[in-house]
Amino acid sequence: MAQVEIRPYEGLINRVYEIFSIVDKLPLNMSDEEVEGIMHVLPADLAKTMRAFTIPRIRNTSLKFLGLMKKWLDGAHEAKRVGKKVMLVPFNFPPEIVHSFEGAWPITSEVLSTLGVAALEGQGERYWDYAMGLGLPDFACSANMIEVGSALTESDFAPDAVISDCFASCDINSKTHEFLARYLGIPLLFLEKTVDNSERGIKQYYKYFFRLIEDMEEYLGEKLDEERMRAVVENANRASELFWELWDLHKFAPCPVPNVFSLMVYGVRYTMWGTEEAVQVIRDMVELSKERLARGAYPAEAEVARSLWTYTSYYFDMGGLFNWMEENGITHLGDGLDLIFPQPIDPTSRESMLTGMAEIARNMPMTRQMGASSMSVQWLDDITWASRELDANCCIYCGHHSCKQTWSGASVVRSELMKRAKIPTLILQGDSWIKRMTPISVLQETIEEFVNNVVKKREAPARATG
Amino acid sequence: MYYAGIDVGSLTAQAVVINAKGIVAYKSIGVKPHPVQSAKTVVDMLIQEQGINWNEVKFCVSTGYGREQVQAEGLSQDNVSEISCHGMGASWLVPDVRTVIDIGGQDAKVIRVGKGGELVDFVMNDKCAAGTGRFLEVQARTLGLSLDELGTVSFSAERTLELSSRCSIFCETEVLHYLQRGHTKADIAAGVNRAMAERVAALVRRVGLEKEVTMSGGVAKNAAVRAELERMLNVRLIKYDTDSQIVGALGAALMARKMGGGS
Amino acid sequence: MRTLQSQSTDIYTEYVRDWKEKGGKVLGYACVATPVELIEAAGILPYRIKAFGHPDTELGDAYLARFNCRFCRSCLQLGLDGTYDFLDGLVETNGCDHLRGMFENWQYVKKYDFFHYLKVPHFLREDSLEYFTEEIQLMRQAIAEHFGAEISDDALREAIDAYDEVFAKLKQVYALREKVPPALTGAEVMRLICTGSSMTARDFSALLDEVLSEKEGARVPEYKARLMILGSATDEVDLIADIESTGALIATDALCYGSRSFWSREGESGDPARLLAERYLGNLFCPRMFTEYEKRRDYILETARRAGVEGAIITYNKFCDLHGVEAVSLRMDLEDAGIPVLVLEKDYGSKADTGRIKTRVQAFLERLGK
Repeated sequence: MAQVEIRPYEGLINRVYEIFSIVDKLPLNMSDEEVEGIMHVLPADLAKTMRAFTIPRIRNTSLKFLGLMKKWLDGAHEAKRVGKKVMLVPFNFPPEIVHSFEGAWPITSEVLSTLGVAALEGQGERYWDYAMGLGLPDFACSANMIEVGSALTESDFAPDAVISDCFASCDINSKTHEFLARYLGIPLLFLEKTVDNSERGIKQYYKYFFRLIEDMEEYLGEKLDEERMRAVVENANRASELFWELWDLHKFAPCPVPNVFSLMVYGVRYTMWGTEEAVQVIRDMVELSKERLARGAYPAEAEVARSLWTYTSYYFDMGGLFNWMEENGITHLGDGLDLIFPQPIDPTSRESMLTGMAEIARNMPMTRQMGASSMSVQWLDDITWASRELDANCCIYCGHHSCKQTWSGASVVRSELMKRAKIPTLILQGDSWIKRMTPISVLQETIEEFVNNVVKKREAPARATG
Repeated sequence: MYYAGIDVGSLTAQAVVINAKGIVAYKSIGVKPHPVQSAKTVVDMLIQEQGINWNEVKFCVSTGYGREQVQAEGLSQDNVSEISCHGMGASWLVPDVRTVIDIGGQDAKVIRVGKGGELVDFVMNDKCAAGTGRFLEVQARTLGLSLDELGTVSFSAERTLELSSRCSIFCETEVLHYLQRGHTKADIAAGVNRAMAERVAALVRRVGLEKEVTMSGGVAKNAAVRAELERMLNVRLIKYDTDSQIVGALGAALMARKMGGGS
Repeated sequence: MRTLQSQSTDIYTEYVRDWKEKGGKVLGYACVATPVELIEAAGILPYRIKAFGHPDTELGDAYLARFNCRFCRSCLQLGLDGTYDFLDGLVETNGCDHLRGMFENWQYVKKYDFFHYLKVPHFLREDSLEYFTEEIQLMRQAIAEHFGAEISDDALREAIDAYDEVFAKLKQVYALREKVPPALTGAEVMRLICTGSSMTARDFSALLDEVLSEKEGARVPEYKARLMILGSATDEVDLIADIESTGALIATDALCYGSRSFWSREGESGDPARLLAERYLGNLFCPRMFTEYEKRRDYILETARRAGVEGAIITYNKFCDLHGVEAVSLRMDLEDAGIPVLVLEKDYGSKADTGRIKTRVQAFLERLGK
């Protein structure tokens, strides 16, 4: 039925992989002239992304981050080559669980979509269009559907199985996972979030979690090896410590952490968490931020707004959002996807490690808020807490059109946030991964107006109230 | 022996009279307040201006949104949806056609037809105006351009600005935003036309594209939209030799010929 | 005919008014996953929330967004504008993300003394069944405590039996609508089911007796084709009537304001709470159950075959995640089974779109050669 022609080498993962192979070869400490030279040979959309990632203040750290993404994709290819199972997971599934298995490798659909949007000419639109051609609804989530659309072409690097832990926290993603697994004829392993924060609800969630581990063991034909798991857990614990260190650095004003790190830190979280390389990249982010703190470096004359994005950000123009904001004195303190609440896992035994991972999975973004007893209450609590912690003076809800659950609670969260913490929220509308819905310049203008007319006139910072 | 088709749409009404060989006469008018009035007027004009003896019309089929009322009034013997009629009309004009794109003021349809013009599949927009001629009208007005100018001016664009293809209300705000920022009308118009084409392309993908492809309706007159669409779908869009407004009425007349036993 | 036509599409029906005037309590629920037997066993009237295509959403839109399903926004509107003030409380289920939003916002504004959230798992397995059984016990406890009405096992069994009787009679109604020539139109059946969803089982059962005897020898006017309708939550009797006005007889359905609300309630446990868990979680036929596509597909194909339909209309409200995705698979599978499909994505309660919907249905009939 669908008519968009996609040649084999044009699948999202295959294409992104090829491009990252090039990016991976870029040396550290490049001069501006060298960067500029490279921009000339890159296609426009990729050049735009690379320009955003190679601005001098973050250049080396960005390249290391991009190198990590390349390693992650390498892992998938290597897995395929040696007969390991490549498992497609959503962002809210802790990838360290998959890394704990010898015979499996995680690929994360939202991250792949984002890489596609960042690296490919025409961004991710062709895959979205392919999915639409099959009849999938245009209110589906592009974060997932861009990668899924590519997988549906059946001409891309393909996953062997799908793990969905979106059950009860996101209908559209759960449904998309179910559809993809059936369409490709591959297994769907799943984990339901009990929408219940009581002790009973948590206990039941653990039960489901342990059942998923059994299902994975059965599917992979591999009993989780305690030693291997411990190594992963120890890396994850180190990454968690560094995450909180980076979190604390956000508390300084002006914020020494570059805006785009909000995205990079969860880029790491959703892919390579539990590996030594991930620890290294987060450490680099911490080091750079510390160094900037020591210098008092900030890209604008003054920090005029400290914004916390309440759910997702926009990813189709990194330079137009993250860098543009900080160059205009608007700090991006993080978004809902940074609310990952990593906690140390007790590495004593298989049981203790699995319980720790279950607790981590239970508190991943979206799972924690949208899979709570109340979608708005938990979300609001988290945003209120984070905005006080980080001394935010405004919130921005990006209004990604397909997040029906967050849209359901956005109005209540906005008014309660104002009541509780006196923090104003800007509600935008757009598609976070596809530029066709609302262009970045329109979003920039709205943010600018909000900052000038609302945030600047605000009387007291968050910390002084509540 | 004549067969007739009457198409009463939301903006215009047409009547076409055919015989066993082909088109004998046709007429197109702007609609009157009531569909029956429109039908009567267009038929009267056909009789008066082109000397058609309506008594020789053996069978008449009505189509378009007023199709049922026209039949109820006895002006036609049967009614057929504009979707089937468009497919049939297009197939008669371009025998190899398999995909028919028709974008009118309120409606956007993409129709897949078989060899004989029979309906195979179709999609039609819901009430959202984003993929219809209305979308272009609104944006042209915001830009202070005529509909024709909207198409031609965009060929002098230096760059195509991003505009929302998902929603006409979003898009209108964005057009204003770009105007305020001092972008040229040409660049904005190019963005509008591309957004329109994207929307139509999405509809086409839903039913699947099979060659040959025709495009009709008011939007087909916008050369920039056509060009964008040809690029996106990688296909040549065939224009009709005849006035494309009459495709629906022609299809209805062909249906009438079939129903009336004329072939 | 007489009986059916006297059933209005009012929200606050005479029946409910009477019930309230006699001091009866009414609990609102929205989703077919709600074990109404439990509510009725407490002597409370279970009322399934409907909007009957109500077009206004201004109040609802202050809380839900335009990216939320308009059925939920319409229901919320009626909740906030006072139309549903006769309710003594709400039972929320996580039927879908939009419904959850509807309930949360409704309760946020209205603050009912009784508001219970029944958490329904999205898959059927022994562990989820056990959990759901506990959920049912918690709901039982909550109702008993709040309304001071103890719900005994016997009362539960009695309510289950009463509903089984209703379901059996509804199947007889479906036999009448599905036969050739049919005795009832699709619009009549939807109206009947909606009416019954604001009545006690006993009273609905009596109404069904009347309908069955009235309709036994009836036959609907001429029609062009026998179709099935399936898809997302809709109580739009007018929509079905509009579709049928084109000559498309809706001979059967797989809607949750239709056959999916009663067709199968199988269960085997002797313990009534567990039995309810089995009856509901085991028979949802709703795309919210993320691992049971084949079961739903088979149910739909079986329904289509039983009624001998010539085509199917899959309809869903714009922004319905569950049915929007499901429609793609169902379309493929129905067409593979030789049943042509019209996918009708629509805005709930949009009168402005009636003409376009009818055109699409008529064109579909023409595609079927009708």
